[in-house]
Amino acid sequence: MVNYYIKRTGQMVVTLYAVVTIAFGLVRFLPGGPATALRAQLMQDDVPSEVIAQRIELYLSVNPDAPLLDQYISYMSNIFLNGSLGKSVFIQRQTPVTEILAEALPWTLFIVISSIILFHIMAVVIGALMAYWEGSLFDTVNSAIAIVFTSIPFYVLAIVLVWILGYEMSLFPVGNRYGDAIDPGLSVTYILDVIYHGALPIASMVITQYGVRALSFRGNSIQILGEDFVRVARLRGLSDSRIALWYVGRNAILPLYTGFLLSLGWLLGGTVILEEIFNYPGIGLKFIEALEVRDYPVIMGVFIMITVALVVGIYIADLTYGKIDPRIETGDQSEAF
Amino acid sequence: MSTDYDDTSTDDDVEMTVTSLDAHDPIMQIHDARVTYDMDRGESRVLDDVHLELEREEIIGVVGESGSGKSMLASAMLDSVPDPGQLAGQIRYNPEDRDQIDLLSLSKEELRQVRWEDISMVFQGAMSSFNPVLSVKAHFKETLETHDHNVKEGMERARELLSDLYLQPDRVLNSYPHELSGGMRQRALLALSVVLEPDVLVMDEPTAALDLLMQRSILMLMEELQESYDLTMLFITHDLPLVASLADRMAIMYAFQLVEIGPTRALLDKAAHPYTRALLNSTPNLDAPLDEMQSIEGASPDPVNVPDGCSYHPRCPFAEEKCIESEPEYFLPETDHGVACFNWREAKERMSLNHLQARDDSGEQVRDTDDERGGEN
Repeated sequence: MVNYYIKRTGQMVVTLYAVVTIAFGLVRFLPGGPATALRAQLMQDDVPSEVIAQRIELYLSVNPDAPLLDQYISYMSNIFLNGSLGKSVFIQRQTPVTEILAEALPWTLFIVISSIILFHIMAVVIGALMAYWEGSLFDTVNSAIAIVFTSIPFYVLAIVLVWILGYEMSLFPVGNRYGDAIDPGLSVTYILDVIYHGALPIASMVITQYGVRALSFRGNSIQILGEDFVRVARLRGLSDSRIALWYVGRNAILPLYTGFLLSLGWLLGGTVILEEIFNYPGIGLKFIEALEVRDYPVIMGVFIMITVALVVGIYIADLTYGKIDPRIETGDQSEAF
Repeated sequence: MSTDYDDTSTDDDVEMTVTSLDAHDPIMQIHDARVTYDMDRGESRVLDDVHLELEREEIIGVVGESGSGKSMLASAMLDSVPDPGQLAGQIRYNPEDRDQIDLLSLSKEELRQVRWEDISMVFQGAMSSFNPVLSVKAHFKETLETHDHNVKEGMERARELLSDLYLQPDRVLNSYPHELSGGMRQRALLALSVVLEPDVLVMDEPTAALDLLMQRSILMLMEELQESYDLTMLFITHDLPLVASLADRMAIMYAFQLVEIGPTRALLDKAAHPYTRALLNSTPNLDAPLDEMQSIEGASPDPVNVPDGCSYHPRCPFAEEKCIESEPEYFLPETDHGVACFNWREAKERMSLNHLQARDDSGEQVRDTDDERGGEN
């Protein structure tokens, strides 16, 4: 058992290492790579040529003139030993990428985690009611709605929302984390304003994501309602609420659990587009900004961070699945991927 | 052959009342129990006016082929027929220390109290009768809690029960269902079903899907349980020899009706219904060679479209006009042995029972003549 944890942790470290290596490779081998772009940029800015290599090394954590192996070693040791992802070249000159990410990440996490929690709650509640009233009008209508919403890409809905509710009707703000007039702090008005500004991005995630999970929860529940142990539980006289919660719900939710943790990585990736549409200053918007000016260290930083989130999500799912479902021994057969 | 039983009916095949089959001290009375399902192609009657009384502390075996309505009978006894089935008739329970309870007139809450506490049930699929995400202990605890029993005493009883069933109580209680073998799960379920000390235990094929050795040992355990806890048991199975070793009385079910009922010995040796005799002859027996085993031609009827008259007549070698025209009541070869067949005398005379021959006879020549005797008719 302990062996498994060690092994799984080792696997994660190897995966992370591979991800960073690939990131390094991409940086190096993309046509018109960052070093070249940076050199051109610096030369345009009339930076003396002897400073250029130094600057490049400073920005990219890599000396473009050193042999590839040396570059690789210094890049890796910078990340893994110093925790440094290099410094921003253009969007916030000289600011370490980790600092930029740390400043923007909480806002993105606010959007992403609120969305994940909300659409899972919606999925479970609506799915459970659909299963309970299987075949009713409620079930049919909600199934149809769920399918329609699921088939809309979240960025399409986001554009529709920002256009109608934001620009046309001016009901919701179309940018920023909170209003200009609000002082950041732990006040009710501040928190409400933060929610108000985050409402549309969260809504476009929730509305497009809850459906497929509601349908799957409905299916799981209906299947479990027909299980013998539910019938036996009724005969044993257990209360309806205990049966609903501990017999049907508890078993029906199991398949959703892995998806719950994986959606963190998936949605983090999705925020790149989402934040651009809503002009919401999180890491996604930073990513786009960096992309436009080819601020490679920032791009690589976001890329690595999103991948890490996914890898860690799978890691947690693997380690905890055995706790959620006792039938699954935490072991090799139970891995999410 | 036709002289070794008491003939209580007259030559005119007078229909006897069924009262003499009833129990002297019935703990449960099932009268005219009928379960119907409305289907697009008609009404499906999956339990057809079944009349059965359970004597206090007896073990009664109900035998029938798949789809003959056995499980419906079991469900009816707890008024838990799966939706949307309609249960009609009378199901009454006579507790020793309280007034008679009419199960079908109880409110939901009253019914909840009677179930498991007075009348308990072991299900067909013990494998799936436990919630996979709860430990076995949690199942016992929640059962005790919902019925307002003292949990500490109840768990003590559960431990006792489990060790009576040759399980290690602590190991089993602390396990999750999937960690137990099939036989262990079955025994744990048995313990769970009697932890509230019910009077009646309905068992719906409790040994299905277990190997023969495990079936035997579970039967023995049930016999011990019955004795030490004064249980009345109704044991449903399709495995006739299995229940024969356990039951005091047996009832044979065919096409959603009880076609024959009587003491186990009488039913085995003096079976009177053609179906019972055919069923006995189709039973695998180590003594009987394969070519002597007989299957019953035809198939059991569709619950929507049960044949008129005696529902066995399409498959019965003795069927005649009156079998098609009217439904037979019970005839009584003996006072405690009832059979729903007009031609039971003929059946007894002309259908030999393989297992009796195998027991009585030894040597091939005798078996040969038996074959002739059975075949010439």
